[in-house]
Amino acid sequence: MAKKQKDAGRKSTAAAAAERMFMGGMPQEEQDEELMQSPLRMVVTSFIKDKIAVVGLCLFVVIFLCCMILPFFFPIELNYQDVTQANAAPGFGLLKVPDSLQGNVQALSVGSTFSVGLDKDGNVYEWGTFPTEKLKSIPAASEMGPLTQISAGYDHVLAVNAEGQIFTWGNDRMGLTSIPVELEVSRQPIKQISAGHQFSLALTENGRLYNWGSSYLLSIYFPEGVQGNIAQFEDNPNIVIALTNDGRVEPLSNKPSAYTNVPEEVQGNTVDIALSDESAAALTADGQVYTWGNNVYGSMNVPEEIQGHVVDIEGGRYHYTAILDDGTVTSWGNNNFGQTNAPKMTGVTDVFTNYFGSYAIDENGNAESWGLDGYLMGTDQLGRDVFRRLLLGGRMTMTVGFIAVIISTFIGVLVGGISGYKGGKIDNLLMRLTEIVSSIPFLPFCIILSSILGNSISELQRIILIMFILGLLSWPGIARLVRGSVLAEREQEFVTAAKALGVKEFGIILRHILPNIITVIIVNATLDFATCMLTESSLSFIGFGVTEPNATWGNMLNGAQNGQVIENYWWRWLFPAIAFGVCTISINCVGDGLRDAIDPKSKER
Amino acid sequence: MGKGRYLVRRLVYIVFVFFIISILMFFIYKSMPGDPVRMMLGDVSQSMKPDAYQALYDRTYLQLGLDKPLVVQYFIWIGNMLTGNFGYSTQYKRDVIEVIGTPMLNTLMLNAVSMLVVFAISIPLGIATAVRKNGVFDKFIQVITIVGYSLPSFIIALLLIFAFAVKIPIFPISGVRSPGFSGNGFEMFLDTAWHMALPAIVMSISGIGSITRYVRAEMIDVLRMDYIKTARAKGLKEKTVIYVHAFRNALIPIVTIATAWVVALFGGSVVIESVFLWPGLGKMLIDGLMQRDFSIVLTMQMFYVILALAGNVIMDIAYTIVDPRVRLEN
Repeated sequence: MAKKQKDAGRKSTAAAAAERMFMGGMPQEEQDEELMQSPLRMVVTSFIKDKIAVVGLCLFVVIFLCCMILPFFFPIELNYQDVTQANAAPGFGLLKVPDSLQGNVQALSVGSTFSVGLDKDGNVYEWGTFPTEKLKSIPAASEMGPLTQISAGYDHVLAVNAEGQIFTWGNDRMGLTSIPVELEVSRQPIKQISAGHQFSLALTENGRLYNWGSSYLLSIYFPEGVQGNIAQFEDNPNIVIALTNDGRVEPLSNKPSAYTNVPEEVQGNTVDIALSDESAAALTADGQVYTWGNNVYGSMNVPEEIQGHVVDIEGGRYHYTAILDDGTVTSWGNNNFGQTNAPKMTGVTDVFTNYFGSYAIDENGNAESWGLDGYLMGTDQLGRDVFRRLLLGGRMTMTVGFIAVIISTFIGVLVGGISGYKGGKIDNLLMRLTEIVSSIPFLPFCIILSSILGNSISELQRIILIMFILGLLSWPGIARLVRGSVLAEREQEFVTAAKALGVKEFGIILRHILPNIITVIIVNATLDFATCMLTESSLSFIGFGVTEPNATWGNMLNGAQNGQVIENYWWRWLFPAIAFGVCTISINCVGDGLRDAIDPKSKER
Repeated sequence: MGKGRYLVRRLVYIVFVFFIISILMFFIYKSMPGDPVRMMLGDVSQSMKPDAYQALYDRTYLQLGLDKPLVVQYFIWIGNMLTGNFGYSTQYKRDVIEVIGTPMLNTLMLNAVSMLVVFAISIPLGIATAVRKNGVFDKFIQVITIVGYSLPSFIIALLLIFAFAVKIPIFPISGVRSPGFSGNGFEMFLDTAWHMALPAIVMSISGIGSITRYVRAEMIDVLRMDYIKTARAKGLKEKTVIYVHAFRNALIPIVTIATAWVVALFGGSVVIESVFLWPGLGKMLIDGLMQRDFSIVLTMQMFYVILALAGNVIMDIAYTIVDPRVRLEN
């Protein structure tokens, strides 16, 4: 009796009776019921057994989530670039002061991706990522004697010993080694030195400023009465600004620019100056900070509460650091590398800020640092963080691939479905169309379309164009497959039954045939996804896909087309190549696994 | 239907497809920026008086038939294209037909070598893995080939350049011939072969990946058939069973995929040629686009279309050879 009830619950009594009739009234075995699985569950079970496919799925999910979520934590502006950070090797510890220097610091200086320091005995320390190997060949201590001042620049270092002799090492081209004769022959006491962006500056005690090195970016012009009267100077790659002995701020340039627009109230009243990349700051005797220039990344937003309490100020690329009268430090400006996360420390005697890093020194000679500590995957030729662009690039590559697959799958299913279901003349016509599209040489045609249509449209439109080109040219494969499957399905009895019941054609296709071929479509879409990503990146690689400043895994490799880059800047191409390789391999593994899972025939393989 | 009639039908159809695609190309040609007459005349304007240039301009304008309706223009254009009158290259200052010879030879050479390598390796490998399916060897090859066809060719190229041209400098990074090279024909051949090694290897790797997997899958399907059991039951040698009975039958789908692959290979060599600075058609296409030399671009495009269609014809002929059933098809 219980058995009968169970049967009745499972199917209608009429169907059960029919089954009994055909099956000779044999009662069904209990085990049969357990073996019955929905097709989807069967696919899932046999997919899980395929270890390679599962590993592929996990890898892909990890990469996908990284590319979708991590850009929010590691933001990067598309147009951001910084020439001083170009081609930095991967690695951390840019701001890690050597232990032997701690408690013994005389002076520190922040270079582009490295730092130098002097201990109280005048010995040199260097740490960080060096833009050139030459930086490692420091002149022997016996030759230099105890040093008193040191300055790090983009790729060279400048140092002065107690006798006023100047030493330079690192980059030795562009005249960086030709120290002016006046300073070489008649040694004078040096007040301040600075190694800039491929140029060097030295200020003597009697107020004369000397410069040597590249004059390509920077030309120095001394206004009337300034040379010989300079108390302090600051430089960035574009300009040098001097503070005279009578407290006036003088830009050493004859061209008007944002930096030359010095506010009148600081003139004659200034005790310290600082320069960032786009703005300048002056500290007046009453502890007020005045800024002028372009307010890029908020570097001119001086916190209100520090006004009147500042005793010393230093400038980095896009931020400033100041010592306050209570012995604490504070920073403001751009915080993309944590430059403004100043430590809460007291008794600060000196700060050293430049580029993206800062050091504060307390009265015991201990140094604390904050700012850019390094790049996980280095930087590219424009100084952009490869890791952050890799994440953005992944997001772009996957988005373009995904939408292209959606488009091609939609067209493919539509064309294949109609063609297979309708048959006859429509089938013939659509299949000829499919053949024509598949005879179009794919990659050359994509190149030519994107170059002809793509030169007068915006970046976003261009990306959409690429998606559509890929989608509109890659549907024939899926259309053929769907047509074949529909042809097989439409002869099945359940379709005849549905027709007999008067279900509309559209309903039959959508409700009865589509569910049966959906697995085929999904598998093909998965494999097509990898192909579309591949095509997109090939296009971007040769410069006809998504273009700069937008990142994709293809155009990140675009700059790596010559042997020098391949050899010296391996991080610029290896990381995107690995990310992309792992991604497409895992997608293909998933696709293969799915195909095997839905195809019972392939189990024997 | 006989083989002959089948082929003729396919040929007629392919000619039809060619015209459809050529209409598409004509619209690309019409939508290209710039004045076609000025492009064709090139820089003669500097050496001529303005009124003489204007007269020449008008004459060329009429000659190109730009005053006629679009339909007539299309037939003039396609006539020019089919008779080898591809226009004037603004980049080389010569007629296109004169400058495409060497690049075409370079591309054909590179692709032919890759093709030979791929078929010579992947067909035996595919058969071997199918025969030993699920063995250690098979599993190993499966993993290698999935890597081979998943990696884009330019990544393989970068890796190989790094390994074999930078770290262990066995092969040159780019080019087709050593600069200032002189020697007899055989030395020249060796030099070119040496330059061709890396690009050919790169092009072969992805091809080997996909073709091997395909051959394996088809062979496994065929080896399950009843006639294979019959052949074995008859006591035929295993070699005969595999190479004569099974492979012959697996060949039909393999021919399809191989032809499609060869056509894609030529298209894909655009990327390889631009990485290795191989002076072939692909590089010419890209340079043409960069320099806005559209006569070259369109000629290249035409070449790829004809190649794709020729691939279809070859596929049809191959069908009739390998599959006797084709002639029965309606």
